[in-house]
Amino acid sequence: MSVDGAVAPGQVRGLALAAEHVTAGYGGNPIIHEVSITVGPGEVVSIVGPNGSGKSTLLKSLVGIVEILAGSVTVGERDVTHWAPEEVARIGVGYVPQVDDVFAPLTVRENLEMGGYLLRPADVGARIDYVIELFPQLGRMLRRRAGKLSGGERKMLAMARALMLEPAVVLLDEPTANLAPAIAHTVLSEHVRRLAVTGASVLVVEQRARAVLEISDRTYVLGGGRLRMEGTPAELASSEAFVESFLGGGGQKVTQTNQLR
Amino acid sequence: MVYYITTLLVYAGVDAIACLALSQQFGVSGVTNFGFIIFQAAGAYAAAVLSLPADSANGAFQTYVGGWHLQFPLPWIGATIAGGLLALPFSALVGKRLRGDFAAVGLLVTAVMANLLITNYRPFLNGDAGLALVPAPLDNHFNPLSANYQWGYSAAAVVLAFVVYRFLTRVTESPYGRTLRAMREDDVVADSVGKNVRSLRTSMLVLGGAIAGLSGGMLVGFINLWDPAAWGYAESIVLFAAVIIGGLGNHKGAILGAVLVPVGFLEASRYLPEVGRPGLVPALQWVAVGLVIVLFLWFRPQGIIPERRRLIAVHASPDDAPALAPAPPPAPVRALRPRSKEREVALEARGIVRSFDGVRAVDGVSVAFERGRLTGLIGPNGAGKSTFLAMLAGTLEPTEGSIFYDGEEITRLPAYRRARRGLVRTFQLASEFKRLTVLENLLSAVPNQRGDSLYGALLGRRYWGSDEQAAIARSEAMLDRFGLTAHADTYAGDLSGGQRRLVEIMRALMAEPQVLLLDEPMAGVHPELAHRIGNLLRELCDEGITIVMVEHELAIMDEFADPVVVMAEGRVLAQGAMSELRAKEDVVEAYLVG
Amino acid sequence: MNVLVPSIAFGLISASVLAIASVGFTLQFAVTNVLNLAYSSVMIAAAFVAYAVNRHGVTIWVAALAAAATGAILSLFLNRVVYTPFQRRKASPIAIVIVALGMTLIIEYGTQAIAGPTNVSYSMSQGSTLAIGSFRLTVAQLAIICMSIVLMLGVHVLIRFTRLGKAMRATAANRDLARNSGIRTDRVVNATWIVSGALCGLAGAVFGMDAGTFGATSTDLFLVLILAAVFLGGPGEPYGAMLGAVVIGLGTEVSAAFIVSDYKDVIAFVVLLAMLAVRPNGLLGAKA
Repeated sequence: MSVDGAVAPGQVRGLALAAEHVTAGYGGNPIIHEVSITVGPGEVVSIVGPNGSGKSTLLKSLVGIVEILAGSVTVGERDVTHWAPEEVARIGVGYVPQVDDVFAPLTVRENLEMGGYLLRPADVGARIDYVIELFPQLGRMLRRRAGKLSGGERKMLAMARALMLEPAVVLLDEPTANLAPAIAHTVLSEHVRRLAVTGASVLVVEQRARAVLEISDRTYVLGGGRLRMEGTPAELASSEAFVESFLGGGGQKVTQTNQLR
Repeated sequence: MVYYITTLLVYAGVDAIACLALSQQFGVSGVTNFGFIIFQAAGAYAAAVLSLPADSANGAFQTYVGGWHLQFPLPWIGATIAGGLLALPFSALVGKRLRGDFAAVGLLVTAVMANLLITNYRPFLNGDAGLALVPAPLDNHFNPLSANYQWGYSAAAVVLAFVVYRFLTRVTESPYGRTLRAMREDDVVADSVGKNVRSLRTSMLVLGGAIAGLSGGMLVGFINLWDPAAWGYAESIVLFAAVIIGGLGNHKGAILGAVLVPVGFLEASRYLPEVGRPGLVPALQWVAVGLVIVLFLWFRPQGIIPERRRLIAVHASPDDAPALAPAPPPAPVRALRPRSKEREVALEARGIVRSFDGVRAVDGVSVAFERGRLTGLIGPNGAGKSTFLAMLAGTLEPTEGSIFYDGEEITRLPAYRRARRGLVRTFQLASEFKRLTVLENLLSAVPNQRGDSLYGALLGRRYWGSDEQAAIARSEAMLDRFGLTAHADTYAGDLSGGQRRLVEIMRALMAEPQVLLLDEPMAGVHPELAHRIGNLLRELCDEGITIVMVEHELAIMDEFADPVVVMAEGRVLAQGAMSELRAKEDVVEAYLVG
Repeated sequence: MNVLVPSIAFGLISASVLAIASVGFTLQFAVTNVLNLAYSSVMIAAAFVAYAVNRHGVTIWVAALAAAATGAILSLFLNRVVYTPFQRRKASPIAIVIVALGMTLIIEYGTQAIAGPTNVSYSMSQGSTLAIGSFRLTVAQLAIICMSIVLMLGVHVLIRFTRLGKAMRATAANRDLARNSGIRTDRVVNATWIVSGALCGLAGAVFGMDAGTFGATSTDLFLVLILAAVFLGGPGEPYGAMLGAVVIGLGTEVSAAFIVSDYKDVIAFVVLLAMLAVRPNGLLGAKA
C-alpha cells in the first residue's frame, strides 16, 4: 500500500526521525541553533516553548520548508537534510501546518484524494475508508467544501489528509492554535491519539504545554531558538524550571489542575 | 538641422514634464495608474480643440467639439485643467482595496478602451484620423516655421520642465512629501497615523494629471496634430519604462529617464539606417524598449538614479545639551489629562460583533477602558483579540455594536480621524515605513504639522520650517529615551526585529496619543528590552495615557497590566487583576498553560 | 430579428475563440498567481508561425498545430525564464505586471520585426455555407466552434480525471500543501504552462482564421476580451473562463446588432471594470 521507497510505520528501523545539531532560519539568519531531537517508532513526542522560541521553525526545517544552515536530519536511515518538501513527504513524513492546512476550494473527499496523490489509484479508495474509520465525522462530510468546515473539523481533515500516505512520522504544527479550548482538548487527546494508533510516530509542536504533556511520551522545551530541557512529562512537571518558563512570576506547579495559587 | 535639435529639445521638455508627473504619482506617492497616458492625451486634445478654429481649412474635413480659436496661453491652461479634471473619476478606480496587479489591469484596460472610443466616435475628436492643423501658439504674431520661433519654443519647453521640476521638488522635499512616501510604503499604516490616504491619492492623481495635461498641450502646439496612435498601448508603457529606468522616487531620475527613453527613442529613429525591410527598425526599437524594461527591473530595479536617503539636518545648539537622565519629551501639542482620582472611561466598546462569512470572530464584546491605566488583553490564538483591537482603531468596521471615545460615539469614524483625535494603534506584524529613515518614521506621525499639506508644502520651508524643527527636537528626545539615536538615519527596514518594534512604538507616541492600542508590542523582542518597554508604558500611564495592550507573555501581564481582560472564542471570559484571574478555573482552563 | 440570428452565430464563433484563449490564461493564473499580460502577444506570434507554415502549402488546420507548439514553447519560456525568477525574488505584483508588459513589447514587436508590418491572411477555404436551423455558418466557422468544444471537453477531462489535472488543482488551491502531499509542484507548473501555452497558440491560430487578416498588434484589444471573460468567471477558474467566454463572446456580438458595432468591445470593458469593482474573484470564485 505504501509508496515505493517510503518508510512505512511498523517497518522503521532505529529512529523514525532524528535531528542533529540543526541550525536553521530564513535567508541565512538562524532562528534555531544546534537543536537535536529524536523520535522513536510509535512515540508521541512534543515540543513546547513560549512564543518566538522557534518551535514552528524547527518543524519547518525538518520537512524542508526552512533552510537548514548546519546539522542534519534523518528519517529512518535516510539523510534528508536538504531535501525539498515533496521529497520528504514521499519517504513517509506527513506534515500538518498551522495555517492553510487544507485545500480550501476542494471537498473533503477531494482533499483526501489529493493527500493520497502518490498512491496507486486502485489503493486510494481503500485508504480513504481506513482514514474515515479513524475519523468517522469526516465520513459524514465527504462532499463538503473544506473551506466551510469549522476549526476543529478542518484540523481533523488536515490530519486525515496527512495520514493518506501512511506516513511513518507525522509532524503537527500547533494543531490547537485558533481552536476553542474544548475542541483543542479533543484534538490533542483524541485525534492525535488516533494518529498514533496507525503506528506512526507523532511530533507535535504546541503552545498549550499542559494539555500536550498529557499525551506525550517525551517532551522537549525550546526557548530562544535552543533546546532548554527534555524529559518525560512526569520529570518536567516536577521541575521548577519548567514551570517558570511558562507561567512567569508565580512558580505554580503544572500538575495542580484546580488552583494555580 | 535646426529643426532636428529644436524638435529634440521640445520632446525632451515635454517628456520630462510627463515623466515628472508620473514620478510624483507613482514613484513618490505609490499611486499606480496605468492609464496615465490618457491625461497627456486629454491635455493635447483640450489644447487642440481650444485653439482650433470652428472650421478648419479645406471645408471642415475634420469634426470635433470646441473650436473656439483661443489664443495662447489659454489652450495650455485648458490642457492643464482637462488633465486635472479627468483625474477625478480615476480616483474612484485607483483607491479600491484591490490586488495591485488587478487594479493595474483595470487601469490599463481603461486606457485601451478610451483609445477605442475616441477612435470610433468621430464627431468628438475626429476619430481615427485625429486632429490636424492645430494652430501653434502665438501664430498670429510669429511665423511658427521660423528658426527663432523654434528656438523660442524649445526654450519654453526646457524652462517649463525646470519650473515643474522645482515645483514638484518643493512638494516632495517637505513634510507633505514625507507623508506621500509613507503612504507609498504602507497605506494602511499611514492611515493609522492620521493620514487621509484617499484624499492624498486624489490630490496626487489630480496634480499628476494636470501636469501631464500640460505636457500634452505643449506637444500638440508644436507638432500641430494629435491622433489616437500617439497614445496607444505601447506608448503607455514607455512612460513607465522611462520613470523606472531613470530612478523611481527621484525627480532627477524622471528627467534622466525621459531623456533616455522617449527622446533616445526618437533620436535612434533618425540616425539608424533603414536596415532590412521598411518597418524593421521601428519594430526593433520597441523590442529594445521591452528588453530594457525587463533587464532594468532585474538588474537595477531602483533605476539609474535611485531614490536617495533623506538625511534631515540636525540643528542641535550647544546650549541645549541633552540631560543625562532620560528627560521627558518637550511639551506636546495635545495636552494630556493626568489620571484623576475618579475612574474615567477613556474608551469603551459596547456589544461589538464582527463576522466574516458567517463566522463570528468577535461575538458581543463590551469593555470599558479606564483612563490612565494599562489594560492587558490576553487570550489564545483565534480568540478575536487582534480583530477587536482593529475595530477599536477603526481599521475594521464592526458588524454590530458601538465604540465610544471620550464619551463620543466614533463607531463609523475612519481610522485616520481617530488617530488625529488621539486614538492610535500599532500593528502585530512589522509595520515601520521601510524606506523611510527612523527619524522620518517618527516625524511622519507628528500631527498638525504646517508642512503636511500641499498648500503648506508649496509655501516652502520658510512656512513650515519652525514646525519641522520642533518636531525634530521631539523626535530626537524620543530617540534618546529609547536609545536609538545612533540609528536616526538608518532605513527603518534595515533594523533588527526588536528595533523595528521600538520604532513603531515611538512613532505611535509621536502621534500624541491619548489612548494607545498596542498589538503584541513585545513579540520577538528580547526579554530585557521588553521589560524596558513595559516600564516605559507604565510611565506613560502615569502621565495620563490610556493603554490597551494585546500580548501573549503572561509575565508581562503580571508585571505591567492592570486590569487584564481575557478573551476566548470571540467573547470576554473574565476581567480583573492577574492574580484574581489565575484563581479562576475557567480562565486557567481556557488559557493558562493549556 | 433578422439581425439577431447572424449576430448570435458570430457570437458563438467569437465565444469559441475566446474560450480557448481564456481557459489557457486562467490556468496560468491558477498555478502561478500571475496575470500573464504577454498572453496576447504569444497568441499572435503563434498565429504568425502558423501563417509561415501555411504559406508552404500546409492546410491551416495542420498549421495550427505549429501554432500550438509555438505557444507551448514560448509560454514555458515565459514562466521559467521570466516570471518564476522574479517571483522568487519576491517582486511586487505591480513589478510583475510591468515585466509582463515589457515581454509583450518584445514578443509582439519581435514578431513584427520578423514578419513585417503588413497584415497577412491565412490561405484557407471557408468551405460551403451550411444552414443549421436558422443559422448560416461556413464549414470553417463550424470547425472552429467544434474545435473549441472539443478542447473544452479535453480540458474538463484533464482537470477532473487525470493525475496531472488533480495535481494542478491541488497546486492551484494550496501549493505548499501540495508539496507536503508529495506532489512535485515545479513539474506540475511546467506542465500547466505547456498545456495552457498550447491552448494559447491554438487560440492565436483560430483568432487569425476568424479575423481574416491580422497583424502583430491585432490581439492588443483581444486581451481586454480575455481579461473580461476571465474576471467574469473568476481568475484561476477554468469553468469560469468558459462561462465568461460564452457571455462575453455572445454579449459583444449580440450587442453589436443593436448598438453601433464599433463599440461592441466596450461591453467587455464595462463587465471587466464592474467585476473588479464588485466581485474580483468572479462569479465562480470564492467571495473576496
